[in-house]
Amino acid sequence: MKISLSSATARLFATALLVFFCAPCPANWFGGKQDPPQWGLDAAKTPTPTYVKDAASVILYDEYLETVDAQGRAVEREREAIRILKPQARHEGCEVGYDVDEKINYFREWTIAADQKQYQAQDTDFIDKGDNGIPIMLSTRKTRVVYPPAADVGAVIICESEELLEPYLKETVWQIQSHIPVVFQALEVDLPAGRAHSEAWHKFPPVKPVEVSPNHWRWEIKDMPALDLRDVKSRPVWEALAARMSVQWGDAAVDGKDNQWRALGQWTTTLEANRPDPSPEITAQTQSLIAGAPDFYTKLSRVTEYVQKNIRYFIVMRGIGGLQANHAADIFRNRYGDCKDKTTLLISMLQVAGIHAVYMPLYDHRGVVDPDVPSIMGNHMITAIELPADVQDPRLKAVVKAKDGKRYLIFDPTDERTPVGNLPSEEQGSYGILAAGASSQIIALPVLDPDANGSELKGVFTLAVDGTLTGSIDSSSIGPKGADLRQFLKYTDEKERRQYWEKSVAYSLPGVTLDSFQFIQPSDLDKPIEFHYKVTARQYSHQAGPLLLVRPRVIGSYAESFDDKPRIYPIDLDATGRWRASFDITIPPGYVVDETPDPVSLDLDFASYHSSVSAKGNLLHYEREYVVRQVELPPAKYAAVRHLESVILSDEKNAAVLKKQ
Amino acid sequence: MISQSRELENNRPHDRNNFRAPSFRLLSGERVGCLALFLFAIVSPAFLLAQFQQPTDEELKMTVDPKAPGAAAVYLYREEITNEIDHFHSVYERIKVLAEKGKELATVTIPYIPGADKITKIEGRTIHADGTIVPLTVKPDDLMTFKIADFQENSIVFTLPSVEVGSILEYRYRYSYNYLIYMPAPTWWIQQPYFVHREHYSFQSNFPGLHEVQIAPEAHVVRDANGSAVILDKHDAFTLDITDVPPQPNEDWMPPLNTLKWRVAFFRPFVSSKEFLRNGKEFWDHAEKNWADEVRDFTNPTSGIKKITAEIVAPSDTDEQKARKIYAAVQKLDNTAFSRIKSKAERKKEKLKDIHKAEDVWKQQSGTDDEIALLYVALARAAGLKVAPMQVVNRNRAIFDNDYLSIEQLDDYLAVVVLDGKDVYLDPGQKMCPFGTLHWKHNLASGFRLSEKTAVIDMTPSSTFKESSHLLTADLYLDQAGNVNGVARIVMSGPEALHWRQLALENDVEEVKKQFIESMRDSLPDGVNADFDHFIALDDYNVNLMAIVNVSGNLGSVTSKHFILPGLFFESRAKHPFVAQDKRLTPIDLHYAMMERDDVTYHLPPGYAIESALPPSNVVWPDHAMLRINSTITDGSVKVARVFARNFTLLDPKEYNDLHDFYQKVATADQVQLVLTKTPPTAKGNQP
Repeated sequence: MKISLSSATARLFATALLVFFCAPCPANWFGGKQDPPQWGLDAAKTPTPTYVKDAASVILYDEYLETVDAQGRAVEREREAIRILKPQARHEGCEVGYDVDEKINYFREWTIAADQKQYQAQDTDFIDKGDNGIPIMLSTRKTRVVYPPAADVGAVIICESEELLEPYLKETVWQIQSHIPVVFQALEVDLPAGRAHSEAWHKFPPVKPVEVSPNHWRWEIKDMPALDLRDVKSRPVWEALAARMSVQWGDAAVDGKDNQWRALGQWTTTLEANRPDPSPEITAQTQSLIAGAPDFYTKLSRVTEYVQKNIRYFIVMRGIGGLQANHAADIFRNRYGDCKDKTTLLISMLQVAGIHAVYMPLYDHRGVVDPDVPSIMGNHMITAIELPADVQDPRLKAVVKAKDGKRYLIFDPTDERTPVGNLPSEEQGSYGILAAGASSQIIALPVLDPDANGSELKGVFTLAVDGTLTGSIDSSSIGPKGADLRQFLKYTDEKERRQYWEKSVAYSLPGVTLDSFQFIQPSDLDKPIEFHYKVTARQYSHQAGPLLLVRPRVIGSYAESFDDKPRIYPIDLDATGRWRASFDITIPPGYVVDETPDPVSLDLDFASYHSSVSAKGNLLHYEREYVVRQVELPPAKYAAVRHLESVILSDEKNAAVLKKQ
Repeated sequence: MISQSRELENNRPHDRNNFRAPSFRLLSGERVGCLALFLFAIVSPAFLLAQFQQPTDEELKMTVDPKAPGAAAVYLYREEITNEIDHFHSVYERIKVLAEKGKELATVTIPYIPGADKITKIEGRTIHADGTIVPLTVKPDDLMTFKIADFQENSIVFTLPSVEVGSILEYRYRYSYNYLIYMPAPTWWIQQPYFVHREHYSFQSNFPGLHEVQIAPEAHVVRDANGSAVILDKHDAFTLDITDVPPQPNEDWMPPLNTLKWRVAFFRPFVSSKEFLRNGKEFWDHAEKNWADEVRDFTNPTSGIKKITAEIVAPSDTDEQKARKIYAAVQKLDNTAFSRIKSKAERKKEKLKDIHKAEDVWKQQSGTDDEIALLYVALARAAGLKVAPMQVVNRNRAIFDNDYLSIEQLDDYLAVVVLDGKDVYLDPGQKMCPFGTLHWKHNLASGFRLSEKTAVIDMTPSSTFKESSHLLTADLYLDQAGNVNGVARIVMSGPEALHWRQLALENDVEEVKKQFIESMRDSLPDGVNADFDHFIALDDYNVNLMAIVNVSGNLGSVTSKHFILPGLFFESRAKHPFVAQDKRLTPIDLHYAMMERDDVTYHLPPGYAIESALPPSNVVWPDHAMLRINSTITDGSVKVARVFARNFTLLDPKEYNDLHDFYQKVATADQVQLVLTKTPPTAKGNQP
């Protein structure tokens, strides 16, 4: 779990519960007993449109007003009306998130029941909840939730709230698409005279604002469908596909996307300034690590592995601490921290080692950060390490080139197992802000060559006449695939590992017994991790009259589920990589191979799959190779993906036929 | 309204520190006593917290623990001290981290209630394997957990610094309680997530004899403590010292943990400030009587109830007809366990009063599950039936524990009606539960049952496999390319049918269909998809529930001579439990007995014939379970029939070997394959 970079982002991804925030304020949060506001009564008259289909609820009206003061601090008011359409939406309500630097001025709720009776939520209908769902997190963030009275099918829930937002963010992210449809929504930004703003749209054509009064802007959108990805196979993350709009009114409210990104990078640079300053202890530790290092890679990897292995992941979010790292000296002393802390310590240690590195805020899955939508929105921090011009090491694969010609190695110190030079698969193809002061920019993260990731599986088996298969399997994994395995080992004990592998192997071999297993995990992260195990599977082969059926693909599956539905969303292939497997099965005495499946050979621009089965004497040999070259494809490629997956699935199910001599 | 409490924590996962802040009650009748205790406390000697211990060389150098092979951490020492005289509870722990996963124990969360108690004297340190000590210097955070109108719970959170594999984590803290708050007797949860080498517990109780306060000698129950015993030491403190405590159980299909986890529980079974109960029997006698009075009062067949009953049943009805008619009538009421509870504002606007009697439920045509169950009892009593209410501990949460002296462990109400001299157990509070059956959580469940004069502790019966059936019929058409399409009909009774019907009460039917299809995915072969067509009798609990599903996709593999496909269409995936795990420590709880029957007809593609019939399978575990598979070949098709029946719910771990062996045989038998062979071109097959 990685940290949220902004409370705006935390608000952004509200799901069935509808987040909202607001402006000026009465004496208490509930505001006393009041009649429903006219805007709510009007909204409640909105007919339910036909396009809601089988949505459980529909937002009839959702309006934000951001009133920005001379210092750029906003008060946010939200007015929202939701109609409950189905019983499963009876538990829906509204909520307002807040932190130590924020204040809810008021928060009220009314319900107009299906029979038109009106209710107002009492103080006993509200609850404040701490942000304590994650054991490895310390967060001061809280959420105020209302459980509306009479919230039944046909009722309209009307909420209004107002909140003084944190002083340090000068941006709002307007989430215009939700898990449920929205009939009407609007955003108003009321700026002081002379303060500029800029706007950008993600997955939605730009809408022109109306200037309702001087420097007071209003955008309106009607009839936004829900984004429901419940049964969509191989999909990007929801946040990447949901329509949104960002408005800047701080330093990033300038002309030109490049200038806006530069300002956002400069903001991060300033925010984290001096945080990486090395302490004497950091200096001593770093010098000890790099002593005698023969080359750049060795020096670099000793430092990165130190941070990866020795700094325990623990999230600390106290107000602006959700955005700003702790000081390197504290992180080093406590040996724990979150992504921005790990990046801070790494930058600090690299500084001692004479290597320049900078912060790179981003979202931890590709597709969310949009180069055309300058925004601080994200949930993760990684490191961009500047490579000296003379360093041309092939082990350093995740390299990008900035506009100023400098080369940077992109590295994620929070991923404790992916070696330096490589990059976690979900971040490949993403965008991050290179926070390099005046040289800041948005930059595309590389998609690595298939040879940077994958596994090799070899199995040797003996098949008995009664159908029992015994044998051993040796696997070796590299790159993010190997990192996944290392991560699994890190967070499990011996008993959990056995249980996991027993179930995992049993998926391919029902009734299997895992006779033994062993992991060999070199301390150097760039070395392959090995897994060796022995199995016995009763009745692996099946008798059919005089025939004996054997599936040559003994274990493991590359197939992903697919369907025949029309595709409108991009396809996420998860990771590039090269996966190989080969199995030798000694067939029982007295049998010969009568028939083997045809070889499979499929080459596509984004992937390839080859497999073959051969028989020589009493040995049945199977081998296959699966290569993925891209991580994301346009929807139009779904037919090709479907074909690929059906070919793999068919090959995995194929059986060889043995007959008695 | 009948009071009900589900706050018994003994089946709930314990927090990381294995200490839950007790809930508090201010006993108005005992304020004077509390004040006396307060006065006493301020002159009593302060209790000393355990001092940090110097680690031994053996502890520092430990890399694995032979007593806990493969463990990510072990507790070297734990201590919990409860002192009512000084109103505090202290915790002290020393933990050795043996693997990366064990580092998670470095973060400590201590829940507390602001105003009622304070967390004080927090100290911690990390000791590296070389003996280096890194103290906790970061101030712990005080975070709000939740807050409602008149109550708030917070947590103190800290994480120890510089934790490495090989470190010893050491920390202590103290709950200091408000002296005006009643401090409940402690429960010592002896088992932790990891092995414990040594534990010490102490409970210094207030002694009897103070003015106007009489508290019984503390009753306590020891549940499996390795032969160790609680003693009363020379300071009149209850103490327990125990070594080599295994980690708390964690296996699939375990019964509720409340009777499995080791613990010592203390009770103060007092009735009032002047009356107390001396032992468990007295406690239960008293509790049963009170319970009986309460339910008898609620279910009293008043004139209003009699009038309602007269509208539901006819004098000429047999007892069973009456019982069924009343059951049907209360099933129609709004059951708020499956709809929603109206807020104060709604009740006020609708002028709805609080429910005090069964008659109130009928008047409002709405009630909780328990209120509706008791309304059934009241109506049945008015109809002249012999009926008794029963309140049980729900078996999906906990097992009734006679040693746990608290009626708060009781959950749901049932009704037991005597028909033709036999007890018939009914579940009127479970909407959509057929007459004469119980929700599975109410089978094999114990609790109070009303008798002639008082209440008795009784247990509901188990269900048999005949009461829970899953019958699956499919007609599947194959083509020469290996594609399949057809229709499957799933007929369900018992818990499965109840599950879908109750889901439909809280969701619309489209959502239920989606979840049904999602649940089927584990039953379909790779490459085959299902589309839901429709339900039959989703809203009629008197008949079996049927789901009709269309299936299509690619099945099996085609070679130049053969077509090979799963013999058992719905069983080709490995989904059976107990196949891989060869050892078992805890009892097995499969929730309910059941029977599955698959009848699948494959219609062969043109040009193919069956190579041979499936070898019949007959796997029998006498008196427990059986699997039978056979096939019938007709012209152009093969019908495969599979029957699986399991007629047990709970098993002792001693029977695990037999269970494991049975499921291994079932898992392999279910993988049988069917081989079709190409025939001369004249052969014909069927197509839909």
